[in-house]
Formats: sequence, structure tokens, C-alpha cells
Amino acid sequence: MAEVTYAGAPEGAKAQGFRFNTRAAVVHAVLIVGALIVLLPFYTMLSLSLKSPSEIMQQTGGFMGAQEPFRDDFCVKLGGTEEECMVNPIVYNYTTAFEKAPLVRYLLNGLIVTISIFVIQVIVALPCAYALAKLRFWGREAVFSLVLFCLLIPVHAIALPLYIMLAQVGLTNTYAALIIPWTISVFGIFLMRQFFMTVPDDLIDAARMDGMSEYGIIWRVMLPTAIPALMAFGIFSIVAHWNDYFWPRIVITGNRDLFTPPLGLREFKGDADGDNFGPMMATACIIVTPLIVAFLLAQRRFIEGITLSGMK
Amino acid sequence: MQRTLTAMALALASAAATTASAEDKIVVEFAYPYSHLFDVTYEAILPKFYAAHPNIEIRMRATYESYEDGTNTILREAVAGTLPDVTMQGLNRQAILVEKGIAKSLEPFIAAEADFAKDGYHKAMLDLGTFDSEVHGLPFSISLPVGYYNMEVMAKAGYDATNLPTTWAEVIEACGKLREAGVDNPMFWGWNITGNWFLQALMWSQDKPTVMGTDFTLDEPEGLTALNTMKDIFTGCEMQNLEWKAALASFSAGDLGMMYWSTSAVGAVERAMGDFTLVTSEYPGLTADGPMGLPAGGNSAMLVSTSEDPEELAAAWAWLKFITSGEGAADVARTTGYMPPNQAANEIILADFYDANPAKATAVRQLPLLREWQAYPGDNGLAATQVIYDGIEGIVTGEFEDMTELQEELTEEVQELLE
Repeated sequence: MAEVTYAGAPEGAKAQGFRFNTRAAVVHAVLIVGALIVLLPFYTMLSLSLKSPSEIMQQTGGFMGAQEPFRDDFCVKLGGTEEECMVNPIVYNYTTAFEKAPLVRYLLNGLIVTISIFVIQVIVALPCAYALAKLRFWGREAVFSLVLFCLLIPVHAIALPLYIMLAQVGLTNTYAALIIPWTISVFGIFLMRQFFMTVPDDLIDAARMDGMSEYGIIWRVMLPTAIPALMAFGIFSIVAHWNDYFWPRIVITGNRDLFTPPLGLREFKGDADGDNFGPMMATACIIVTPLIVAFLLAQRRFIEGITLSGMK
Repeated sequence: MQRTLTAMALALASAAATTASAEDKIVVEFAYPYSHLFDVTYEAILPKFYAAHPNIEIRMRATYESYEDGTNTILREAVAGTLPDVTMQGLNRQAILVEKGIAKSLEPFIAAEADFAKDGYHKAMLDLGTFDSEVHGLPFSISLPVGYYNMEVMAKAGYDATNLPTTWAEVIEACGKLREAGVDNPMFWGWNITGNWFLQALMWSQDKPTVMGTDFTLDEPEGLTALNTMKDIFTGCEMQNLEWKAALASFSAGDLGMMYWSTSAVGAVERAMGDFTLVTSEYPGLTADGPMGLPAGGNSAMLVSTSEDPEELAAAWAWLKFITSGEGAADVARTTGYMPPNQAANEIILADFYDANPAKATAVRQLPLLREWQAYPGDNGLAATQVIYDGIEGIVTGEFEDMTELQEELTEEVQELLE
């Protein structure tokens, strides 16, 4: 739907020689207000990541702050002289984000975890979706109902049993604990099944006649046709697990080296005694940047995928 | 000073002698809350500890994001069998770990120490971590409620460091004068600090515990006095209902004249505040004599190691003792707004420090008032905390007018949760 408005409006305007169109104007006004509401938290995040602690707490300095050097008290407490400890807000916020929370390490962990989850999800979901969409077997509808049913279970409801199971096999505080619970994505199975339903049977019959095995069909015929849907699923999966705070926080209690990026935010918490907002927001900026870049690059494919798979 | 150091050196030498033969370092796994506040403290302590105990390695675990998260994490790890050796827990969250048998008694280790009292561990401090008459936790960082004053704002109503309010009636009077002088938002009172800390402060001010056994004591005359005092403060000062961050921000920005809060935020306020003079002063009382007691906030070191190896336990004890006494404890005050509850550290090592940092000295003067930050017993403890929180919020917003009625309502609801 969004695409129609997007593509249609400018063309229509051109053809009619920029005649004022009330409907389009209202649509745009609503979209602009919506966009502002969505962008405001990002604006605050970026702004706070550039300012000094006193500017943040006193809510002064506009977007950038004055960029006057301020004294880093923690540096003084660890024995630095006042002169050594004068820092520029931007430099302080971003270097602290990388040093105190070893963000490079966390980003790498995030990459390992999200990519592993996605790859395994695809390996599981594609054959399942293919079977549910194209093979006839006894109980298929029942299995599909189960898939739909599983979509209704929130992860928080099963977090504790999952934790206990992982604990009993001694897997807490490992990459495996971060990855295994998410490897079977019922959402992925459902999404791919909907997409496969739209693929003509003739294509599969032709492949069978050429003597391809069922697995051959999945990986060499269905996979290439499913790229747009996989892109859409990939965005959902990667965004969800990249941003996940809940699960990593539950299973990673030992080694800080296994933290995923969002857990880095907790390094700056102080609650009633004052949080360190500058580096915290700098960390947040660094965490969301890869996602925003990836989404902008894949935007078109993403919308295609959603439209194609019938998730309108 | 000299004697403490000698005692420390001796203890260290003997510890070193017994374990120096071990080839590998003994690893002590350690976890604590609030990275932002305490990272710097441990960074300051660690080199000193390693110099004294070269054969022990402290392995820092993922930090807890809050006291509640710390307790949750330990409870989960107890199930998974991945407990650390030493954990720092909120003072009002120790009981549950003792009840469940996760935290170990420290008595055997204390019994083996020759000069325990001389190391500065005094009774009021040990009481905070004593359960079933055995010490289970050694307090590490302690906070008490204090008054924060913006002297430039206070000056508008004719106040200076010599005549700051000492009773709540005077606070309300000051609010009136400040308003007349054109200050819109004269005061904030930290009712919303976790664990109903400020309600307990008003109860302890009358030397009354908020919970005795499973009896919630708000139904007694002291409870009504506490509720009425709150109502008088909130309405008399026309206090705005600010959340934590907004309250600290308003004070830092110089809008508020007076803020009643934990001493632990002194560091954060000093870092963030605008161009004004900050003075902290004793927490006001109900009468001119000041409060008769105040609840301690902060955290406490507990031994939760599952190890049976006496060497590992000794190493964990060495760390636990190092951070709660001597130079280790002194670093708490040097790096945060908290104070060490250790007498020797406060009175000997830190005497000069407090002269140079008067804003942090107020809480130390209040140390004799130190009382327990009480947990509500049983599995519904957190629910009880929330019921009381909602009740107090109702006073702030003006939803509850009749304090006798509120007293009855709260007592009934909370008492039910505790039984």
C-alpha cells in the first residue's frame, strides 16, 4: 500500500502541472507527522551522544552542545591530573563507549549470533515450508495448525523452562545459549510457506521430471525464487536478535566477553545515583547504525518480499 | 593508621605464605551491580589487592543492571549451578539469599580472624548483614538520606549554611519563603527511591521499624505520623511528582532549592550541576533533635561460592575482607558518593578526604543513626513494596486526602501480602 502512494503521487503531480491535490497533501501531512514521531527518539539519542554530562542534565546546549571540554571525574579519581582529564564531549562519549563497554567485541558477538541464527533458521525453515506448501502427506494441515499455534507463544512465557534446560546441559554463558533457542523460527516457516504457495507447481514438476531429488528442488529451485521473501525474513530475524536485550541478559551472567551489543548499554547505568547518558547514547547510536544502513540498502527488496509473501 | 597497616601486612604475609606454593593463581569469580558507579571503585582497588595477594585473580563477571537484577541473576545461577564466589547484593535483598541457603555464613571466617573489630568492623555495620544471629554479608558501600541545597536559591529566602532547615516543619516553612521569593519549584523529596526507602526513613526517624517479624507496623501511631508528615511536605511545598531522572535533572539545572535524596548521588550531581554552590546537610527530623534513626542504602558483599576447596574459599574471603576494610573500603568514599561503613576507614584513612569533600561528610556524621533497610518478608515482598509505592504516589498526586483512611487501607493490603 505504501508503495502505491509513494510512486503514484509524484507522477500524478507532474502530469497535472503541480496542481494542488488536497488528498495527497493530507496524506503527506499525516506521514510527515508520523515520521517526526518516529524520528524524535533518534534525534534525542544522537543529540545526547554529542553533549557533556552537565549539558544533558541541565537540558541546555541545543543539538550539539557547546563542545567545551569538561573534567572527567573518573579519570581524576584514578589519579589523573586535572589537565590530563579535560575531555571533549564527543570524543569522551564515543571513546568511553568503545573502551568501557568493549563495543567492537560486542558488535562482533552480535554479528556471530545474528548470522548464525539466521543461517540455521533458513536451513530449518525452507524444507519445512516446502513440505507444508507442496508435498501432500497425512496430517499436513494439523502440522500447519501447530505452526500457527506456536506463533502465538511469547518467548517470555517459555524463557524459564528454556533457561533450565540449557542450564542442565551446561550451556548457559555460551554462544550456543544465545543461538539454539531461536534456530527454529515458526514465523520463518509460516512466511516461507505462504511464499511457496504462490510458486507454480509446474516449476517443481519440471524439476522432478529432470530427475532432481526433493532436497535438490529445495536448494536449487525454490531457494533462488525465494530470495525476496528470505530478505524480508532476514530483516525481521536480524533486527529482532540484534536488538534483543531480554534473552542475552538471562543466559549471559558470567563472562562479559559474550555480551551482545544491547547489553553494552548497561555499563552506564546508575539509576537513582545518575546514569552516564552521553556514552550510553553513543553506544545506542553505534548499535543501531548497522541496522539502519542494512535496511536502507535492502529497503526495496524488503517491501517486495512482504508484498510477495502475502503478508500485506 | 600504622597499626591497621601492620595488621594488614601481617594478615597478607600469612595468607601469602600458605598459598604461595600453589603454581596457578586461584580465581575468585565476582559480580556487582551498577557498572557506571562502581567500575571506577574496583579499578582503584584491584591493583592494591593484587599487590597484596599476587596469587589470587579476581575475575569480573557481567555486572547487574540494578539490585533487583542482581538478586534475580543469583537465583537463576543457583539453579544452573553457575554461581560466582562473591556477589554484591542490595542491603534489602540479602535476606532471600540467606533463606534459600545460597549465601554462606561468614562466621567461620570471622572466628579465624584475630583483629576483626580492630579492622573497623563495628556492630551497627555487622547488624546490616546478620541473619539468624550469624553474619552473612559485609556492607561495602553505604548511603544515607541527606539534604541537598542549592545555596544561591536558598539565599533568595535568606538562608545560608548556618540556618538550613533541621525539621520537616522548617522545610515546609522554607518552601513558603522560597515561593514568595519567586522560586516555582522549591523542593523535591525522594519518596520514589526503591524499596520505600523514604517511608522507612520517617519510621526510623521515630525509632520504629517498618516491619517486625511479619507485622507491618504502619497501623501504629508512628505510621500515621509518617503519612501525615509526607502529606504536609507534599502539599506544603506543592511538590511536583517528578521521576528520579527528572528530579536529579531539575536540581542539577538549578531549579530546585532543596532536594532530599541519597548521599550516593553527590558524585553524579557534582558532575552534572550548573554554576551554583552545593551544600549537603543532615536529614531533617520530626523534632528539633533530628531523626532517631535512618535506613542504610547500598550494597553488601556475600559469599555464594559453591566450592568445597578451603583454598578457594580463603581466597574469596581475602577479597571480601579487602574491599570492606582498610584501603579497599576507603576507595569506596574516594570514588563514589557512598561511604564505607568501616569505622577504621572512615575515621583514620579518610579523615583528610572528608575535610576536602564536605558534601560527602554529611552522611558520615549521620553514621550513628544507621539502621536496617528492611525487606518485606516472604514471596510477596516485591508486591508489598509496590502497594506502598502506589499509596505514597497517591499522596503526592492528591488522590488520597484522609491519611487515617490510607493508613487502614495500606495496612490491610500489605499485611495480607506478608502472611
